[in-house]
Amino acid sequence: MSNENSRKTWAHPWSYREGTIVTVAILLLGFALQAAGGGMVLRFSGFPWNLISGIVFLGILVSCYLWLKKHRAVKWLGSVKAALPAILGFTFLVLLMGFVKQDVVHQNSLVRIFGLSHLVQTWPFILINLYLMVLLGIVTLKRLTPFTLRNFGFFLNHFGLFLVLFSTALGSSDVQTLNMNCYENKSEWRASDRRGNIVELPLAIKLLDFSIEEFRPKVTIVDNKTGKILMDKNRQSFELLDRDTFDLFEYHLEVDTFLATSGKVGESYFAVNEPGSSPSAMVKVTNSLNGTVISGWICSGSFVLQPEALKLNETYSLVMLPAEPKKFSSEVSVLTNDGTSRIVMIEVNKPFRINGWTIYQLSYNEEMGRWSDMSVLQFVRDPWLPAVYSGIFLMMAGAVFLFIFGKPKNGGVENVA
Amino acid sequence: MEELKMWLNFPVVASFAIVLWLAATGLFLFSASKLLNRLAAGLSVTGTVALLVFVIMLWISIDRPPMRTLGETRLWYAIFLSGIGLISYFRWKYKWLVCYSLTLAVMFLSVNLNHPETYDKTLMPALQSPWFVPHVIVYIFAYALLGASSLVAIRILFVKQSGKAISGPVSMADNLVYLGFSFLTLGLLFGALWAKEAWGHYWTWDPKETWAFITWMFYLVYIHYRFRNPLAHNKAMMILAASFVILLICWFGVNYLPSAQNSVHIYTE
Ligand code: HEM
Repeated sequence: MSNENSRKTWAHPWSYREGTIVTVAILLLGFALQAAGGGMVLRFSGFPWNLISGIVFLGILVSCYLWLKKHRAVKWLGSVKAALPAILGFTFLVLLMGFVKQDVVHQNSLVRIFGLSHLVQTWPFILINLYLMVLLGIVTLKRLTPFTLRNFGFFLNHFGLFLVLFSTALGSSDVQTLNMNCYENKSEWRASDRRGNIVELPLAIKLLDFSIEEFRPKVTIVDNKTGKILMDKNRQSFELLDRDTFDLFEYHLEVDTFLATSGKVGESYFAVNEPGSSPSAMVKVTNSLNGTVISGWICSGSFVLQPEALKLNETYSLVMLPAEPKKFSSEVSVLTNDGTSRIVMIEVNKPFRINGWTIYQLSYNEEMGRWSDMSVLQFVRDPWLPAVYSGIFLMMAGAVFLFIFGKPKNGGVENVA
Repeated sequence: MEELKMWLNFPVVASFAIVLWLAATGLFLFSASKLLNRLAAGLSVTGTVALLVFVIMLWISIDRPPMRTLGETRLWYAIFLSGIGLISYFRWKYKWLVCYSLTLAVMFLSVNLNHPETYDKTLMPALQSPWFVPHVIVYIFAYALLGASSLVAIRILFVKQSGKAISGPVSMADNLVYLGFSFLTLGLLFGALWAKEAWGHYWTWDPKETWAFITWMFYLVYIHYRFRNPLAHNKAMMILAASFVILLICWFGVNYLPSAQNSVHIYTE
């Protein structure tokens, strides 16, 4: 420790001090470049340039290591003394992202000029990532030999992370995300990207049926004048209409009839199943404080039906809220270039994969709710995904390794170069 | 059904567990007798099991995993924390750790007693996935292990001031961090795989993801620092204590950050 303090900066062996200087210099350079570019968003070139630069990077990294591995600077690059400040520098940027809301336009000129509201696409972020990849690459190469159990675990964690960083950085520009609005019984092959450009896909989609399964609607009590929901920190403000009787504040509710889809004729509701019909219920409400009983219909309403509340007294009414979706799905026929077609179900959390595209259920016409005849599908193509997943699986294996074998037995001292 | 109702009386079950855990803590602290310590262990196991039964019953009755709200995650935390304290007691006979974890678990349950939960039964489609349960359980287990490791760190920092020798507890902190960190990594990666299935992208730098990542980086710093500077206990323990602050921000604080409005990860209160 004492000779560490008296050592001149940049005199070998380098330590945390040099690590900090290099990391800070990289961050400063990054922010300077960002400001010089007027806070512009950076985009990496797409295929094949990303692949070529990736190969060049790997080539330089490996050959530098092979030729210079005895050099003290390279040794230092493969040590914790370089790694820790770099990890902290990266953490610093991520902390900024944790405080400044991302992907929105900020008024503050500092935020704009340094690109703080879209940090992932700025120079400091990209440079620190590059630096981390260099460090991870060198330390991975360094610990490839000797081939021991400990080094194998080391490889899983460090090369795994390297692969994730490498393939997400290079692959980001090849990711295509397109939205397609599909209408029932119409074929569609055009989709639009984030900027609204229309892209023609090599496959056509015909929406056969869009359907929503809903939870039972909730009921709640609102103030007649303000329309605000009655809140009490110690009590539940909502109840799901899935039972025949329950209590809400001081009211006891009995559900006489529940209609999942209904229409109104005169003063009553009847079960019908046509676009715009809505859930409704006939309820009997007993005020447990004074015993008054009121009964009547409540209805959550839709784009054709007025919502209906039940007035309990001068101050409060009982209302039924719109039902929340439990599951929504599209039954579609997918027609590919070669003329084959097949019928599939696409659902939230259950996308469908075909010819390199993954098709997700994204949204629907929310105003029409369960009667929507339109479904929004999202098409995602990410050719680098297998590389990213390989990295993720290596890291998972690495985590399991750490779980089983834990900390190095000797506490690490012997491994330190 | 009636039996289910009885079990679902949270104040009763929670008070039961709290009383048992407090009694156990008292016995652990003030008695050296083997028999009484066994009794203490038995009491706390009973408390933990009672709470576990409650959570399972709740799961059945609301027909969705009870992992959606902050209060529900506190329940799991209380279970895991008391469980980890007990396991480490059986394994290493660290009485003080089991006392700390039980006290912390009591604290979490008391918070829940003061904020009665509203058990909303609806669950948005994006959360209905086989990934939901492993993702949340693995995370909370990681939080509990890392929370315990920070207790060890704080304890070491205090003992150090009184000039006693330490070393056993440091390696215990390491063990807990390595276990907790491997779970944290798995939780993070499960989350990424799930996000890809549900939203089409594995990482979107959503505020919760961002803070989870920051937490992960802090423990990464601890692991690397310990590896390179195995003798600098004090600084390492300070890193560990600081990491816990970040972890708490990630868990509770994110809800209140301006950067986090409209996040899918916000627990409902
Ligand atoms: C962020 C980029 C990272 C860098 C730059 C880095 C760098 C390093 C370096 C230089 C060492 C010391 C190796 C030696 O001196 O032989 C080390 C050790 C270690 N690293 Fe990392 N690391 C990183 C990420 C990770 C990750 C993601 C994990 C785990 C998931 C991890 C777990 C470990 C462990 C457990 C050791 C102890 C050594 C051993 O197991 O033998 N590191 N790391």
